[in-house]
Amino acid sequence: MSQQSFCEKERKNLEKLNKFQLGNQFKKIGVIIAIGSFILMIARKYFEDSEWIRPVLHGLLLIGLLIISVSKEKIEDEYVDSLRSQSYRLAFIMAIVYSLVQPLINYAVAVLFNQDDNLKGFSYFQVLFFMLIVQLLFFWQLKRMNK
Amino acid sequence: MKNTIKVQRAILDITQEELAKAIGVSRQTINSIEKNRYVPSTVLALKLSKMFNQPVNVFFELTEED
Repeated sequence: MSQQSFCEKERKNLEKLNKFQLGNQFKKIGVIIAIGSFILMIARKYFEDSEWIRPVLHGLLLIGLLIISVSKEKIEDEYVDSLRSQSYRLAFIMAIVYSLVQPLINYAVAVLFNQDDNLKGFSYFQVLFFMLIVQLLFFWQLKRMNK
Repeated sequence: MKNTIKVQRAILDITQEELAKAIGVSRQTINSIEKNRYVPSTVLALKLSKMFNQPVNVFFELTEED
């Protein structure tokens, strides 16, 4: 295979990956998974259960939100695509700012209230959840503002 | 960039919804273009041109900021 056709193939693969989206009907499935796992997460506070269920529910919630995030709108045109890109950019930047600032706030609170709380990290779930929620909210807000 | 899509639409006597359907986009897209909040791609501009039976630069015009 020549170098040029190899590059072309790579480019096409990347394009395909970039255009990947689920159908509109998946949005409902995503919402059901996300809300279902969220309710279970609240419900498990009142029941005694085994420890393994927590990461499973976290995972399910993230999967549900991701499905909503990558599902098409009813009419997915170039304008929706541009709003989507804006929301992803905002979410990406905000998630990084959040993960940089959040430990400092934790530390400041710990110092202010004289708590013996060292600079501890936070879970990947927190950051990913924040990122997905910010993306979905911005996307929803952008769509709403441009009705 | 400013545009006179609203005028062109009035000439054809069609609603945003009808225009949107005819060129395969959502009504919000047409609305945003009319309100100068979104600059459409060349493909979409050419579809509008076909619809209105006019060259693109008749209903799209560059402004000072461009």
